[in-house]
Amino acid sequence: MYFFYFENERSLLVNRITYKSLLYGVDLMDEQDLIRKAKKGDTLALSKLLQQNYSFLVKYLMKITLHPQIAEDLTQETMMKCIEKIQLYNGESKFSSWLITIATNLYIDQQRRKKREKKWLEQEQALRKMKWNATNRNEEWNDVLDVLAQINEEIRMPIVLKHYYGYSYKEIGKMMGIAEGTVKSRVSKGLKNVREELAGIEEE
Amino acid sequence: MKKNDSKNSDIKLDDEDELTVNQLIDGLEKLDEWNPVSTPNLQWFQANVELEKKRIRKKQWKDLLTFISVAVLALSVVIAVVYRQPILFLYFQLVGIILLPLALNKTRKKVSNE
Repeated sequence: MYFFYFENERSLLVNRITYKSLLYGVDLMDEQDLIRKAKKGDTLALSKLLQQNYSFLVKYLMKITLHPQIAEDLTQETMMKCIEKIQLYNGESKFSSWLITIATNLYIDQQRRKKREKKWLEQEQALRKMKWNATNRNEEWNDVLDVLAQINEEIRMPIVLKHYYGYSYKEIGKMMGIAEGTVKSRVSKGLKNVREELAGIEEE
Repeated sequence: MKKNDSKNSDIKLDDEDELTVNQLIDGLEKLDEWNPVSTPNLQWFQANVELEKKRIRKKQWKDLLTFISVAVLALSVVIAVVYRQPILFLYFQLVGIILLPLALNKTRKKVSNE
């Protein structure tokens, strides 16, 4: 249950962060206990574990897919995979990172199976829908999302993982099954690309 | 849960990159605002975990039965051949020994890191 306290760390005051780090310790202990029980076949523990990480997972998938429906479907698939493979979780990385690894690979596989044209169409439709929703709420659309959507997902993912979630190149490499150097170059080139595209939009 | 700590990153960002990163973070946070996530209750998760575990158990049984059936079939064929026409069995063995190095030497496609 403590999980939800850590969603918006960035916006928290220092004293609250200290309080939260204390809770986070409790949360981690709680999580370790749940993982141990889940590996032994405890359905309730596994359900709690999934519930605690659900929102984090959906939000992550939303950011890399930029498509609410795909994000939701992949969340279900990731959870199913997690139920099946929980025995293989070795605790080397955080549970949330393990889930990200599963989700990332499922997304990569799914995208590889799809044709370029279909991918583009799907993305366009989702963006149009989100723009429409934003306009209906009188909110201003953020051009950076358009730019992110244009970038290939194999570049978008490391950018989001690096600069939004703050994972190291090594961790991202492990998650995506690519070399650390490849992650570095993808992030750096991708960021440059985003900057140029944004500059182009601002000039228009 | 979310690390989100660019300051701890293993590269130093220049001002331009820092600006782009901030724009990126703002955009992605907007995305969270526009798509609030409602976490289902624990019962929903329990029901799904139960269902999935049941499906996995069923699949494992199916796989095991398929494996046993194929093994029994293959073994029956081998035994039948050995008893009825041992010479044919020896020919098969010989062909297998000849073909084995070929099968092992077949160049395997390397998995790229890209």
